[in-house]
Amino acid sequence: MKNNALPVRAKGMYFRFLGRSFKKHDAIVGAVFVLPAFVLGCIFVVAPMLVSLAYSVTDANLLALNNVHFNGFVNFAEAFGDTYLWNAFLNTLEFVVKVVPLQLCASLGLALILNTKIRCNTFFRWAFFCPVMLSLAVTSFLWMNLLNEQEGLINAILENLGFSRQPFLESPKQAMNVIVFISAWQGAGYQMLIFLSGLKNIPPEIYEAAAIDGANPVQKFFFITIPNILPTFSFVLITMLIGAFRLIVQPMVMTGGGPVDSTMTMSYYIYTQGITFRNVGYSSAIALLYTFFMAAIALTLRKLMDVKD
Amino acid sequence: MENTLLTAETAEKKRKKAISPLHVVLKTLAVLFLAVLCVLFLFPVWWMVISSFKTEDMIYAQMDSWQTFLPGTWNVADWFVSYQKLFSSFEYFGQSILNSIVYCSVTIAAVLLINSFAGYALARLEFPGSRTLTTVIILLIIVPVETSIVPQYVILSKLGLLSTDLRVVGYLLPGFVSAFYIFMFRQFYLGMPKELEEAAEIDGANKLVTYFAIIMPLAKAIFATVAIFTFMGAWNEYVFAQLMFPNPKNQPLQVFLQLVNTYNPKDLAVVMAALTFSTIPIAIVYIFCQRYIVEGVSFSGLK
Repeated sequence: MKNNALPVRAKGMYFRFLGRSFKKHDAIVGAVFVLPAFVLGCIFVVAPMLVSLAYSVTDANLLALNNVHFNGFVNFAEAFGDTYLWNAFLNTLEFVVKVVPLQLCASLGLALILNTKIRCNTFFRWAFFCPVMLSLAVTSFLWMNLLNEQEGLINAILENLGFSRQPFLESPKQAMNVIVFISAWQGAGYQMLIFLSGLKNIPPEIYEAAAIDGANPVQKFFFITIPNILPTFSFVLITMLIGAFRLIVQPMVMTGGGPVDSTMTMSYYIYTQGITFRNVGYSSAIALLYTFFMAAIALTLRKLMDVKD
Repeated sequence: MENTLLTAETAEKKRKKAISPLHVVLKTLAVLFLAVLCVLFLFPVWWMVISSFKTEDMIYAQMDSWQTFLPGTWNVADWFVSYQKLFSSFEYFGQSILNSIVYCSVTIAAVLLINSFAGYALARLEFPGSRTLTTVIILLIIVPVETSIVPQYVILSKLGLLSTDLRVVGYLLPGFVSAFYIFMFRQFYLGMPKELEEAAEIDGANKLVTYFAIIMPLAKAIFATVAIFTFMGAWNEYVFAQLMFPNPKNQPLQVFLQLVNTYNPKDLAVVMAALTFSTIPIAIVYIFCQRYIVEGVSFSGLK
């Protein structure tokens, strides 16, 4: 590496490539600087995509990767008729539709309240941020124990308050809602912090000018706060949405996709197909379809949000 | 406690005559609302920490009363029974902490070095293809590609990195490069004044010296932010880690929790101790580096 960084400084060391001129020395050093990231990126970011793309039209098996046969679009045809896949897809949609509004409202609401001069402001901020410090794995293990039907704290509290014990994670009807609640509980504090920094970045002069013009607090909120927080809002919404579409740790730790596949999500199904059932080909095909789906949503949202700015 | 707070607040508000009663009521309601939410947010974490200071029998005995939220004994020396049990009954628990620390440190060092170099090159040193590369990186950030774990595993197996000795390498390598971090570094360097580098160049310093002696010290903020984000990601990694390390000896802490939690006979106090213990390092980072986290997030949000 050092050989390329010789302190040679001759005049006119330029070269042309595809109609554009480059400083020779800069170009060499630049290429060397990029090289490690480029090589690793090719192997572990780009190659997996290409491999996935290639395997999606084959019958590849994890245990027999040297014996792979092209089988056309069989995987894709199979995917559309796979009831387990549709179930996983609908479960994921259910999770997204429930968790995104819940978490968004919670984080934005908390940020708006905490942005005023309220008592114990710092304490509250830390309190709501506290669950964020737990990793997803810790959160899942903790709630698994809290929600145990026989020995869990939550059921002990419920019983003390006069309610009956609930199965929570062992019930196909409740499990997904429980995961929604836990995920929002764990994540809301983080987005609250982002919204708070967004709110703090609104220049106070705008509010002062509005006050001089006689605007009331409600008008200030709708005509100043909302438009100014919109970029932050769209950023949070998109990241939250993509994160929700990728739900995997919570069901993997807490329910293993059950009971009766009620918490099987797309990411988890792709993982199970590829690793547990070793159907690398089929797993790749579903992953490809799901990527198209998520990309379409993310890009549409970006487009919509950008138009508003 | 809430009442004294509120009366104090009301008294203060009365002194300032300009504030309307409606305002006071609204603020009081807001504080009350926050206090209730606060309990809802905090009690599981509080219970986890408190329970880790008890014995299992005590946890179950106190589950039905409010004492479950208080330490079982005020003798602090007795608080760490479960922690001692955790280390004595799980041979590899200490090892898993060490594993986590090693994996995190290596990842942070490699991520900072590799991605900052790339970010600098893309911001300052034009070479054929650098613009295309930037476009590709932005595309990689914008388009959400679904889990590359399965193909990544396949590639690792083809590279021979799944053998017992090289598994650690196979686990770490994919985490070294990130389009997102390269982009963050690039944006930061683009915003930095060029004059210093040019001055160093005129003084005869080569690019590598310029980079380490002049650029890096000026870019401390972005290095800190990326280091913290990398630490959070590496410390919390679960799915890929549990796939790569079926053997407890190499497992990082997050995966080792699975063993503690499913161990038969299960000791709830020990589980809580393990959960608490594994949260301490990340909590310390959050507490001391919150500023960088917020800055990093708002920085990335600007695109």
